[in-house]
Amino acid sequence: MFQQTRTKTITIVLLLAGMALYTGFAGFYGRELIIEAAYLVILAISLDLVAGYGGMISLCHGAIFGIGAYVFAVLTSMYDISPLIALPAAIVAGAIFGLFVGAVTSKTSGIFFIMTTLAFGQMVYVYVFENRALGGDDGLSGVERIDLSWLGLDMGNSMQFAWFSIVLAGLAYVVAAAVLRSGFGRTLVGIRSNEGRMRALGLPVRRYKAVAFAISGALAALAGTIAAQQTMFVSPQMMGWMMSGEALVIVILGGLGTLVGPAVGAVLFVFLQHEVSELTRYWHMIVGIVLILVVVLGNRGAYGQIEHMIMHRRRPVAPAKSSLEAASEQEESHA
Amino acid sequence: MKLAMTTALAGAMTLSASAAFAQDEEKIDVGMILPYVGVYASLGEEIDQGFMLALEEAGMTDRFNIIREDTEASPQVGVAATRKLILEDEVDVLTGLVSSGVLGAVRDFVDQSQTPLIVSNAGNDEATGEDCSPYITRVSFSNAQVNRPMGQWLYDQGMRTVYTLAPDYAAGQQHIGAFVEAFEEAGGEVVGQDYTPFGQTQDFGPYLTTAQAADPDAIFVFYAGSEAINFVKQYDSFGIKEETPLYGSGFLTSQLYLEAEGPAAVGVVTSLHYVPTLDTPENKAFVEAFQAAADRLPSEYAVQGYDAGRSLVEAVKAGATDRESIKEALREVSYTGPRGPLEIDPATNNIVQNVYIYDIVEGENGLTQELIDTVEAVRDEPNGCELE
Amino acid sequence: MTFWIVQALNGLQLSMLLFLLSIGLTVIFGLMHFVNLAHGALYTLGAYAAVSAVAATGTYWGGFVFAPLAVAMAGVVLYTGLIRRMRKAGPMSQVLVTFGLIFVFLDLMRITWGDLALSIAEPTLFTGRSELLGVAYPTYRLFIIGLGLAVMLGLWVLLSRTQIGAMIRAGVDNDQMAACLGINVERLFFIVFCIGCALAGLAGAVAAPVLSVTPDMGTQILIPTLIVVVIGGLGSLKGAIAGSLMVGFIQTFGAVLAPQLASVSIYALLAAVLIFRPAGLFPAKA
Repeated sequence: MFQQTRTKTITIVLLLAGMALYTGFAGFYGRELIIEAAYLVILAISLDLVAGYGGMISLCHGAIFGIGAYVFAVLTSMYDISPLIALPAAIVAGAIFGLFVGAVTSKTSGIFFIMTTLAFGQMVYVYVFENRALGGDDGLSGVERIDLSWLGLDMGNSMQFAWFSIVLAGLAYVVAAAVLRSGFGRTLVGIRSNEGRMRALGLPVRRYKAVAFAISGALAALAGTIAAQQTMFVSPQMMGWMMSGEALVIVILGGLGTLVGPAVGAVLFVFLQHEVSELTRYWHMIVGIVLILVVVLGNRGAYGQIEHMIMHRRRPVAPAKSSLEAASEQEESHA
Repeated sequence: MKLAMTTALAGAMTLSASAAFAQDEEKIDVGMILPYVGVYASLGEEIDQGFMLALEEAGMTDRFNIIREDTEASPQVGVAATRKLILEDEVDVLTGLVSSGVLGAVRDFVDQSQTPLIVSNAGNDEATGEDCSPYITRVSFSNAQVNRPMGQWLYDQGMRTVYTLAPDYAAGQQHIGAFVEAFEEAGGEVVGQDYTPFGQTQDFGPYLTTAQAADPDAIFVFYAGSEAINFVKQYDSFGIKEETPLYGSGFLTSQLYLEAEGPAAVGVVTSLHYVPTLDTPENKAFVEAFQAAADRLPSEYAVQGYDAGRSLVEAVKAGATDRESIKEALREVSYTGPRGPLEIDPATNNIVQNVYIYDIVEGENGLTQELIDTVEAVRDEPNGCELE
Repeated sequence: MTFWIVQALNGLQLSMLLFLLSIGLTVIFGLMHFVNLAHGALYTLGAYAAVSAVAATGTYWGGFVFAPLAVAMAGVVLYTGLIRRMRKAGPMSQVLVTFGLIFVFLDLMRITWGDLALSIAEPTLFTGRSELLGVAYPTYRLFIIGLGLAVMLGLWVLLSRTQIGAMIRAGVDNDQMAACLGINVERLFFIVFCIGCALAGLAGAVAAPVLSVTPDMGTQILIPTLIVVVIGGLGSLKGAIAGSLMVGFIQTFGAVLAPQLASVSIYALLAAVLIFRPAGLFPAKA
């Protein structure tokens, strides 16, 4: 069950405010990192919505992220359509793809669900990679940034664009939290806990799962449009399965099923990766070791661990299961 | 040996990093954008080593402050790194770029920010064709440049029908496209073509069998990296070598992959802008210097790195000090290097160079390249470029 | 006609390579409910171990013998150091830990063997081509087909005719029940894990003369292997056989008949199978 606790509110507000503040002082590259962190925050929240609360570990979120980026890029660079129209169009495309994947995969569960989402994601990737009209493996450049001059904002300015991305990240969090607090969200968590019982209650379980995937897809596509605008360039590498894996790593690092945690994880991931890659060329190994340690040591992720400690200090109850264990158990019950 | 080299390189990097603190006003800031991890890491390393060799040879390592950025294997990261070097580090000149995708993506940005860029690999034809820029100088090759000469040459060898194979991506299509155009112009016929899924094809058996069934006079391919090794070995093991000769773009039998390909590569004829066995004093000196530094023979990538460094050195020697003067001086660069005489074509900013046709033979110390023919001073058509 | 025979042999050869790789993965899953994403990395390790052993012994068979042993040893280290600890953690955590292991292995192999592609020559015994069904086909590829069939047969005998096979089958069906019957399930897990690793190492040694050996060869083959395992149904020998034959033949004939669709074909197959048979074709448990 999702609750917007005070700890959650404080953390997300501090996180976004910290990012905004850092943007004000950072140089160009620091601001670029913030933009990257901001869209990864959105992608991680989107993935946590289905993975953490819906029990659907997806390996096609990279593809949905890429669909958002490509729809935005194609519309603005090839058809000269205003980004103000391209942005919602990309979000709708992500939602439609999410609805489709969610609907056809809703019968499968556990590792089979993961593999089916992988299959759909890779089909999109391969299609784009080999399609010369979409730039093929070279990608597409000449993507436009959104024009907000009517608000007095200049998106060509990296500081203002970074702030714009942070605002979108905040909005994404608000949307995701609202969805989870609604009756729909409570049902979704119920399905994760016991799908059979929910079905016995007469709920259209598969429809719920598909809609959750569509909402998540919309958010992932939004993240993609920011990524496309940042470098004004899109390439198929944005949508491969390693991108999906990276998103999953971020969610785990921060804390699966905590919504705030993945946001924290995204920021941590971007800055860790940056710092470590300055030190060594073998930073993948460091990321791997960190991931292994996080899972071996309690499995709660950075935020999950903090929340766990706070909860325990207040009221010493029986140790709550980490959400990852809960998700795993649920999977096992399907195996 | 490998480890020692990595350590040496890491040492060099720390040195240049600490030198950055010296804040010497005289120094020229060079942004080097290369892959140091991922599938192209070995290319990045070769280019970097070649580049440094050129600076050392000129005794000018102190004149330059090198800032390295890793593109990994991702165009996205490459674009971000380029923007960082231009906007934050405000480098005087950029060099590197292995991926054509990154080159295409940063083209407008480099052009608008008026930062000179010396391309040391990426070969997409557009970069010095319809999308050319006075700020982008290429000292490596263009995809068409390396393959076009093979069209006529193959026809002259009596080959009338060919079957082509390449990975299904932009560079694969350009390499094959340039060859096919020239071959058909000469009067030859392409009896079949296959594009194999890039990065997913390890077993070429099905394609080789199909090519063999078409019974062409020759097979012409473009493959690089591990795909090149797999292809050459499997071509041999299916026994096609005994019936149908294999030709290709020279990356197929690059020095980098020769050892892994083994005897299967013997007799394969390809064309490239550099062969380490060139018998010229310039090349011999280069090979010796590179072997001393890296303990192996240089590949075309090392030479591309070297010429990127050398052309920058030449430009600075001619008095260039900032973005604008470097850009102008680069257009005038002309010298005889390891790969022979080269100059920058003022019409496109692409390199004008010899293309060497060579085959692989069994030598005293293992496999080696044997020069068969030289097509001199190959120059690309402007193809929509209007620099002049 | 010869064309189609050769293509069928191509498909069979690819299938056998995929089988060698997927059988270890699927048996480990069937018994331990453990999805080892690092299986591809173990395959790469096997290929590199073979390269080094061939260089040291001067014969292909040095690598052929050494690689499975070396990877089994790596399996021992992995199992005692990490995997045993993860036994109770649930499949999702296991997936993530082994995902982390992929990165660690990738860089360790880059540090040890470098980025340049390596390779070994075919064994002299199996160079050249042999006549089979009226066509000349590379002998080494016939060896791969033969080896795959031999391993298939060996595993079938092991699983259906021996005591340890019966114990494994009992463990796959219901590990708690098996433990009640006095089977040392922990030791069984350990043995099966090591056999699975050895098979991955063997696959690496067998692939090395055909394919180049690069640090990322494991990540490249991981997805097709997972597809084989999932299509077949996790944990079953029959499933691994069916899955590898389907993927091998669809990839081969896809490349011949519809080259434009070659790269999408196996993903389409996977999606289609899972939509209609959500637990694969031959799930180990009903």
